[in-house]
Amino acid sequence: MNGNRDILLVEDNPDDVELTRIAFAEAGSEHRLTVVSDGAEALDFLFARGAHVGRASADLPAVVLLDLNLPKVNGREVLQAIRAHHATRSLPVVVLTTSAEPFDVDAVYELGANSYIQKPVEFERFVDAVRQIGLYWLSLNQVPGNP
Amino acid sequence: MQPSSPGATEAGASAAATDAAPDHAAVELQAVHARLEALARGMSHDLRAPLRAIEGFARQVARDPAAPEAQAQLERIRQAAARMGGLIDGLVELMRIDGLPLRPGPVDLGLLAEWVAAELQDAQPEPPLQLEVQDGLGVTGDERLLKTLLQQVLRNARQFAGDGPARVEVGGEREGDTLRLHVRDHGIGFDMAHAGKLFQPFQRLHGRDEGAGDGLGLAIAQRVAVRHGGGIEAEARPGDGATFHVVLRDLQ
Repeated sequence: MNGNRDILLVEDNPDDVELTRIAFAEAGSEHRLTVVSDGAEALDFLFARGAHVGRASADLPAVVLLDLNLPKVNGREVLQAIRAHHATRSLPVVVLTTSAEPFDVDAVYELGANSYIQKPVEFERFVDAVRQIGLYWLSLNQVPGNP
Repeated sequence: MQPSSPGATEAGASAAATDAAPDHAAVELQAVHARLEALARGMSHDLRAPLRAIEGFARQVARDPAAPEAQAQLERIRQAAARMGGLIDGLVELMRIDGLPLRPGPVDLGLLAEWVAAELQDAQPEPPLQLEVQDGLGVTGDERLLKTLLQQVLRNARQFAGDGPARVEVGGEREGDTLRLHVRDHGIGFDMAHAGKLFQPFQRLHGRDEGAGDGLGLAIAQRVAVRHGGGIEAEARPGDGATFHVVLRDLQ
């Protein structure tokens, strides 16, 4: 079981943030959801800099849920930066996005995404997807450094 | 035998022209394909987002119409529907620009900017738009398209005005058959590190909480400038406003 139960949600759309919160609540998740609204802030959070200076940088979330179409630094660039840094190289990143374009799927796996999930339009299916994300990434999955 | 079309005459006229033309056409075609591909990817993402909000919040309200958050959720549904409408309008506009037949005529961009500013102000009084316009900003162009360009650039200046009124200066100079126009605002600006994305459809440098729109406005402005033989660039600093430089050539 994974020790850290926090989730970092990188999402700029306030409706999607709210729906994700509701979906996690409905899925019975007790994980703490931290939300940042653009790619630059996501990197500031993970690397404890900018507005997040002083945060314990070793205290990484159990999983990052990453949208692709973000203001400033987009999701692909966030993923690249996460994989390029030794402290976050093995951090689980689930791309959770609206796009189902094969181009996006291939590109983000090449950049080192652990999983790619298209947000379904139907809310019930979204709750289902969130439940499975929680079950797999926050309960079953073992990550390096958490024996 | 007589050539059957003007195109055939041109093709037969010079060996150099026939060598150069396919390359140029292939490059153009590739650029069009790349633009359409980027547009399709953006559409796939951005058109589904409001649909998901409508579906998700409608389901919440249906489940418990008397819940304290139901009114706020209905408002989210209404706003998502409005965003969807705006996206469709913007997309149709962006996709039509390249195919529209140009109607060249004398256009005073200063007067046009004042007209556009008045329309924007009528449609939405806040924040006030304080426009300072230089004289002599004439060009031979398509007034309808140039109005669209100014609408997008001025709307952008207003969206990211920060606190207080949106102060915008419109000026420029003529060089031969070219008008170099600039539109300077004193708003929140942006980091030049992200400037490459500014004119790409569906790319935003600010979040919705900072006033971001559908990410199509500046892409539309760029296509209008390109159809006038020019282009558009921006320079800015965070917190220190932005200047858009637009190059327009007189249409024949």
